[in-house]
Amino acid sequence: MEAFILIGITGIGLGALYFLIASGLSLIYGLMGVLNFAHGSFLTVGAFVGFWVASKMGFETTIPEFLLAMIIGGLAAGLFALLIEQLLITRLYERHIDQALVTVGVSLVVGAVLGGWFGNDLRMFPTPMWFLTAIDIGGAQIPADRVIYISTAILLLIGNWALLKFTRIGLIIRAGVENRHMVDALGINVRKAFSTVFFLGGFAAGVGGVLVSVYSNGVSPLIAGSYLIYGFIVVVIGGMGSVPGSFLAAMLIGIIKQFANYYATGLGDFVVVILLAVVLLIRPQGLLGKVRA
Amino acid sequence: MLRWKYSRPLLGVVMALLALAPVLGNNPLSRPGLQQTMAVAFIWGGLALTYDLLFGFTGLLSFGHALYFATGVYVTCILINHEVVSWWLASLIAIAVSALLALLVGAASLRTTGITFAMVTLAFGEAGHVILERNFFDLTGGENGIALNANLIPQFWISVVNTKYIYWTALAAMALTYAVIWWVTESSAGRVFAALRDNELRVQVLGLNTQRFKLLAFVISAALAALLGDVMLLAAGSAAPRFADAGVTISLLLMVVLGGAVTRWGAVIGGIIYSVATTRMQDLTQQDSFKTIPKWIGGPISEPAFVLGLLFIFVVMFAPGGLSGAYYKLRLRAITKKSQ
Repeated sequence: MEAFILIGITGIGLGALYFLIASGLSLIYGLMGVLNFAHGSFLTVGAFVGFWVASKMGFETTIPEFLLAMIIGGLAAGLFALLIEQLLITRLYERHIDQALVTVGVSLVVGAVLGGWFGNDLRMFPTPMWFLTAIDIGGAQIPADRVIYISTAILLLIGNWALLKFTRIGLIIRAGVENRHMVDALGINVRKAFSTVFFLGGFAAGVGGVLVSVYSNGVSPLIAGSYLIYGFIVVVIGGMGSVPGSFLAAMLIGIIKQFANYYATGLGDFVVVILLAVVLLIRPQGLLGKVRA
Repeated sequence: MLRWKYSRPLLGVVMALLALAPVLGNNPLSRPGLQQTMAVAFIWGGLALTYDLLFGFTGLLSFGHALYFATGVYVTCILINHEVVSWWLASLIAIAVSALLALLVGAASLRTTGITFAMVTLAFGEAGHVILERNFFDLTGGENGIALNANLIPQFWISVVNTKYIYWTALAAMALTYAVIWWVTESSAGRVFAALRDNELRVQVLGLNTQRFKLLAFVISAALAALLGDVMLLAAGSAAPRFADAGVTISLLLMVVLGGAVTRWGAVIGGIIYSVATTRMQDLTQQDSFKTIPKWIGGPISEPAFVLGLLFIFVVMFAPGGLSGAYYKLRLRAITKKSQ
């Protein structure tokens, strides 16, 4: 039973990390039709800025200091995302394939710049001591850092939902995901919604980057790799443009992956891809996705 | 006609020169070092062309093309090392396995289109990469890959003095790939591929099974990629997970976009230049004069991805059509000026 709880919660923690990346990907795709390969570099930029802030505070941080570093990392990644959107994406309006290609270029350049400056070795992220302790839940010893991942993801989900539901820009974003051209035709400035979505997506990815570097015990330009691919899988399974869908799919994938890895060593990735194939065959639009006209 | 009337004779001359260079007295290509570099470059040129068939000619943005290349490398290597069959038969089996795999993966992923298709092929490709890294049944050697047992392949491919045979094999594989893709894209199926890229709905309205044609393009390009994988196994001497990495497919995309899609020769030239450039750039950054450049600028430049990534962004934004596109644009301008 303890093992069951431990694996379940670890899976949810992993799912939380996937969600932080997938939420931005899903909204950006849903609203603008952009497949954002640069999302991994938003994550890395956030991780490095967060690392820089945290290491100013010594080899070990308190929890508020860590949270501050995480938020600054997120903001930096959000601003970087905004810069990429303004500089490159908007100039390729409606050229979806070219937009995807440009983001591939951005991810290469960012990876090369960070690799050239800092090298590709892992650097220890200064984390609070509390992260290394364990919490007793139903007899299982849960590593404390999982709590941060899960609560951050839930906060982000709620924040996202509130923004989409109660603000004007959220209304425009929701309308834009449904039918962008109609919103445009009504004379509403959709461009502002694009920028908002890029900033928010970048922010979530940057926060995710700091957490991923805690999870993988350090920062390097290569940490984003597998998370971006899992982000894509989550978005496809959850349904493009649906944030709750991404949340559901992220949790599902995190849990399934951990259980598969426990009961059939190393088969986690494989099972996830099988799940992807099954979802595509039965429900090509994803769990909570709408069929596009 | 945009095609230069001497382009085909020129192609013949260039191919003949490339083929004869290793035995034509003393020239750079008579040295094993450059022969090896060029052999690898020819393989990449051919691979870029197989990717062009998908991305340029049929409009399928796949991010999992590396899987079929790696299937060629691994299946051949495993069959040879376990002394099941000779290189020749192993290569044919690997091509068949790769085509079959493409048939299955393609059937599932072609249920989606456009950007979703890109994501799904990426996921399948990465799954393949992970499986190769895991060393199931002790077959794939895990993260280190497997070394090809040199005693079990024809002996003219072994040792440094025989590098020219690998060079010729790679050149032949590239030429064969070019011929097959030329034949496919000029055939009536090739017209349907182009129509699918330009207007899928229209093809559907004409009563053609669009899924089947897309699957055909997917399987042909996978089979050819496996063929080039067979040759890569000879050139590299081992099968390693890096051949299945998503980075391989991204490199192919860069090669096709930089060289120019849909012109065939553009992709090949793009692949050859890219491959030679990444090899040479690493040599260049080892030199002493390079160390005088401050680290904050020298660090990124020493990574080939930096320069290539910037160039790639530039081409996508300002010169779509790449190298061959720019050439045709210039020719068009010259022709219209002459006719005025």
